[in-house]
Amino acid sequence: MSGSKEEEKVPGRSTSLPMSRVKLIMKSSPDVSHINQDALFLTTKATELFVQHLAQYSFRKGCGGESNALGYSDLAKAAEESEPFHFLTDILPKKILARDYLRSLEERSEDSD
Amino acid sequence: MSPMDGDNSTTDASQLGITGEYMAGGYVLQSQEDDGEESLNDHEDGNGSKDNLREQDIYLPIANVARIMKNAVPQTGKIAKDAKECVQECVSEFISFITSEASERCHQEKRKTINGEDILFAMSTLGFDMYVEPLKLYLQKFREAMKGEKGITPVSVTEGIGEEITEDSFTNQLPAGLITADGQPQNVMVYTTSYQQIPGVQQIQFS
Repeated sequence: MSGSKEEEKVPGRSTSLPMSRVKLIMKSSPDVSHINQDALFLTTKATELFVQHLAQYSFRKGCGGESNALGYSDLAKAAEESEPFHFLTDILPKKILARDYLRSLEERSEDSD
Repeated sequence: MSPMDGDNSTTDASQLGITGEYMAGGYVLQSQEDDGEESLNDHEDGNGSKDNLREQDIYLPIANVARIMKNAVPQTGKIAKDAKECVQECVSEFISFITSEASERCHQEKRKTINGEDILFAMSTLGFDMYVEPLKLYLQKFREAMKGEKGITPVSVTEGIGEEITEDSFTNQLPAGLITADGQPQNVMVYTTSYQQIPGVQQIQFS
């Protein structure tokens, strides 16, 4: 259950994500002093929409019937292919196999000889 | 290292007495807002050492995030654990992304408090304008819910409402009992009986 209990009592005010935690993340941005209640609520709701959006998009584009499971690579792909998600490319690098990485290191050291 | 802000929460690792090597995943932040059992970093992070806690290291609880994801995919669909953790990180990134954009606009206009408009504007600017209309609806409901809870907001000339206030305009709006005999409005908690989600706004298809 989400941390803030007061928010769940009155519908219209309730959120699936805890506003107190969202506030903490917002305040950790540099130069942010005060956040009004509307802004906090909107950010929390927008974050819920974002999770839905990202999950839905990645699932649809990724799961071509194989495993029917949403995985990391589907998310990385979504970040690359969909413009609103481009900001995620830094934290969602496409994973490569260790052996491919080692191979590319070898090739690089051969070049510099 | 980011400058300390005024509240009691600290993101400075040296103040928390945590050295670089110690900070593998699963650490707990000392914070004024205590979430009880949940740690702020309810997250498996194999990235090893970090010098200090960056803004991206604070996450929303994975259970809540996972629940929203689950409701967004078909019932037969599954979600891998690493995907849940990954979205958890993406979410913090998203919040920071929106916040810094909104904050910048605020500063440009010489204001100190980020308001709802700043957030909506940031969404639009950053490519999330498809969220704006649903968010406006949510905000409307939110404001209505808040108003209902606080009782009647006193209408004064300075608010610039401009409508003529007559007997009629009060009788329809006042729930019984909110204004006592001596005319002082009371703060009454008003709970509605319906706990349904807001119709028409909840399921948004993002293809």
